[in-house]
Amino acid sequence: MLAQRKPGFLNRVYLIEVVRGLAITMKNFLFHKKVTLQFPEQRRDYSGRYRGQHYIKSVNGVENCTACMLCPTVCPAECIHIVAGEREDKEKYPVKFEIDSLRCCFCGMCEEACPKDAIKLSNIYEMSQKNRTVYEKDFLLEQRGNK
Amino acid sequence: MPKCLIDGKEVEFSPGENLVKVAKRAGVEIPVFCYHPGLSVVAQCRMCYVEVEKMPKLQTACSTMAAEGMVVKTQSEAVKKGRQGTMEFLLLNHPLDCPICDKAGECDLQDNSFGHGSANMRHSEERRTYVDVDMGPVIQKNMNRCIHCTRCIRFGDEVAGIHEMVAIKRGNNIDITTIDGKQLKTEYAGNYSDICPTGSLTLKDFRFKKRAWMLKKTETVCEGCSKGCNMEIQHEGNVVYRCVPRENLEINKHWMCDEGRFNYRYTQDESRIVDPTLRAPDGHKGAAWQDVIATVESRIRGGEVLFLLGTDLTNEELSAIREAASALRTGIKIRTFGTPGVTKTSEDGSADNILKMKSKTSNLNGAEKLGLEPLAGDAKADTVIVFRGGRAALPKVEAKWSAGIGVFNREEASGFDSVLPGLAFTEKEGTVVNHAGIEQRISRAVRPKGTCKSVPEVLMSLLNTKSKAGQA
Repeated sequence: MLAQRKPGFLNRVYLIEVVRGLAITMKNFLFHKKVTLQFPEQRRDYSGRYRGQHYIKSVNGVENCTACMLCPTVCPAECIHIVAGEREDKEKYPVKFEIDSLRCCFCGMCEEACPKDAIKLSNIYEMSQKNRTVYEKDFLLEQRGNK
Repeated sequence: MPKCLIDGKEVEFSPGENLVKVAKRAGVEIPVFCYHPGLSVVAQCRMCYVEVEKMPKLQTACSTMAAEGMVVKTQSEAVKKGRQGTMEFLLLNHPLDCPICDKAGECDLQDNSFGHGSANMRHSEERRTYVDVDMGPVIQKNMNRCIHCTRCIRFGDEVAGIHEMVAIKRGNNIDITTIDGKQLKTEYAGNYSDICPTGSLTLKDFRFKKRAWMLKKTETVCEGCSKGCNMEIQHEGNVVYRCVPRENLEINKHWMCDEGRFNYRYTQDESRIVDPTLRAPDGHKGAAWQDVIATVESRIRGGEVLFLLGTDLTNEELSAIREAASALRTGIKIRTFGTPGVTKTSEDGSADNILKMKSKTSNLNGAEKLGLEPLAGDAKADTVIVFRGGRAALPKVEAKWSAGIGVFNREEASGFDSVLPGLAFTEKEGTVVNHAGIEQRISRAVRPKGTCKSVPEVLMSLLNTKSKAGQA
């Protein structure tokens, strides 16, 4: 049988412990730097290397992508779907370029594999949506982010 | 057998064999561009340099015959330097457009550059460019990528039997083109794309469809004619993207004709019937499999019945139909059909002295060996059931009721009262016998379209329906 020790009077009142606890709370409340911020009024600056919302880079309105299919080849989640085609000003271009954002694991391998610097991951992290989960080419072609 | 030493390995060879072949047997791969086992040797790409003891300079392995006691080094410093120099020269004017080149992934230039070239380029001048000619419906030309190996010129001269590719101008301005910029006439044009070691000559049919490394490959046999050329179906996601020849020195060597190469198209054509149909007063209507089977079974029960078997079916299908016919009813007549005018193997023969045969179906010989008689004249009976793999030319059918089992397009199906869709050659397995009596296996590459059923499946359900009707 375990010996039961009767707590003393001070321990039974808890007063000292309450004051000590409050002291920690007040110290953090008054003197500690805030961890949270007032989203969406305040926003956090993410590093340039942050991997968020995808986009396709374009120069003078022409997409950099040549539909070489290296990104779907390297993609571990198999979330990129490209259909290649030919048009007058560009020998090979993506007719369809879709990213299934629900499957994407934001590993950034596509960005690394791209020989034309076309597919990029921006620092946009607000990507909650009501229904669309597949980003289509027109959506991806809008330039966003800080890169 | 005489012997020689390649990289310290002793290899036997037969006199007259060149070093590339002998080295390959020893497990040593010598990089080549202009050398092709099916073409003559010109030794002009200078990529296959090897060092031969007691010879003062580097030798080209493709044009050097192995000799007794020869000591060959393929990995020495001098060889490596020679190959690196060759690669640098070949890449001087090569555009680095691998991302948009259809050859990327199966390109000799890519492979050899990676394996034997230098990672750096000393050349900073502008690259040479050309204006391309239209080479017809099969081949897309991009002269900027060419390395002047002349494989295409030699292929035309030596295999296709038509001299239509030439090298005009000399030196830096050399241009490989067709005579007077005409379109290609040969019916073997697809091979130009296969033998080209770069992306200069690519298939228009395959242009930008898929990257080479994404395709799955299934080894099979062409069903285009009774030659039985070995080929590879390249497919992905249940879609066939192209067919390329497979090496078989006894049959097709390294080549195949365009007819066979693009024959796969009908199997995934819009107009192919992929669900069973029955004739209604206002044209063909879709029907359930069991209804169609029941109708066919009831039609077979009475009157004069003729089974017509296409010689494009496999041996397994042909004999299954013959067995099922005798189990269904006695007195069902069985005749075969295939190519008009070529009903027996004795009438078959080479159509162009290259590969093409007169019989446009793959298994004429197999059907004959099974003892099936060819159809003479028109098909006349009360009920005619036509079994067809997809290529046999349909004969005139005069019947009160007729059904087609197999692959038909919408136009062909309109002649029948009912169509039971079957499997095309890309979707089934079996064996076929070619004109020379060589039995070969065809393999399944893709899943059947729609609700298509194989011939044995249809026969089984016919027999089941019959036995059920007998019990009732």
